[in-house]
Amino acid sequence: MFEPFTDVVPSFFGMLNQGPLTLTIFLHTVIVLPMFWIYFQEKKRLKK
Amino acid sequence: MANENASVWTSIRFWRRSAAWVTGFAVILLIWLTFDTLGQISMGTDADLQKAVAEKKENKRVPAPTVINYHIDYKMDTRRGHEVPVIGAKEPFFGKEWSPKEAAALLHLGKLTSQAKNCMNCHTLLGNGAYYAPDLTKAWIDPAWQKGGPMQAMTGKNTVEEAMAEFLQHPSQYPTHARMMPNLGITAEEAKGLVAFLKHMSSIDTNGFPRNFSKTVDQFKTGGTNAH
Repeated sequence: MFEPFTDVVPSFFGMLNQGPLTLTIFLHTVIVLPMFWIYFQEKKRLKK
Repeated sequence: MANENASVWTSIRFWRRSAAWVTGFAVILLIWLTFDTLGQISMGTDADLQKAVAEKKENKRVPAPTVINYHIDYKMDTRRGHEVPVIGAKEPFFGKEWSPKEAAALLHLGKLTSQAKNCMNCHTLLGNGAYYAPDLTKAWIDPAWQKGGPMQAMTGKNTVEEAMAEFLQHPSQYPTHARMMPNLGITAEEAKGLVAFLKHMSSIDTNGFPRNFSKTVDQFKTGGTNAH
C-alpha cells in the first residue's frame, strides 16, 4: 500500500499522490471525520 | 427542555458549521498546495545545473536556461518507474556555448515566439495544447530529428538544432505528414529561440510525461509512427 517516495522534490502532496486513491482517501478522511464531531456536538446541544 | 427526538439533519447550525469547516479546510489546503507547487516549478540556476552535472545527481525539475549547452538524454529510471531527462556532457548549441545571460534571452525569445505563433493551437507543450500536431514536450530527443533520422535528413542539415531551425522557417516545404505544418513566417532568429525553447523543455522533469515515449520510439524504429 505504501511505496517509497521517489519524486524529485520532496513534498507532502507528492507523498500522498503515489497512487490513484491515496490523496482522495486522505482528503475525504480529514474532511469527513471532523463532520462526525460536529454532528455529535450538535446532537448533544439539541438534546439539552 | 429536553428533546429526545431532535434531528441534527434539520438543524441549520449543523449544516452551517459543516459548510464552514469544508470551505475553510479547502482554502487552507489550496493555499498550501500553491506554495508547495511554487517550489517545484521554480527554475534552477546555472550553479545548480553545473553541480547536478558534475555530481551526476538529479537536477532541479526545471533547469536553468544554460541547459541548452548540454547534451540531453532520456533514460528509464527503474526507481521512479518512468523515464527522466539526463543532462550529460557539454555540446555546442548553434556552434557555440551560450552564457547564462545569452541563454536566458534566447529562451525568452523562443517562449514569446511560441506564444505569438500560437504553437499550442495544434501542438501540445508540457500537457497544454492540442493533439492535431505532434506533442512537442520531448521533441528535442525525438529520434526522427537525430543523426540518421528522417526529419534531419530531410532538411539536409548536420545537427538537430540546425535541422529544426531550418524546418521551422520553411515548414510547408517539407512533406512531413498529411497535416503539414503551415508557413508561419518565423525568422531565423526566432527559429533559433524556438529550438532553444524546445531543448530546454525536453530537459524538464515531467514525471515521465508524455507516457511511453520510448515505446513509441521503438515503434518508430520498426517502421511505425514516431514519438508523436
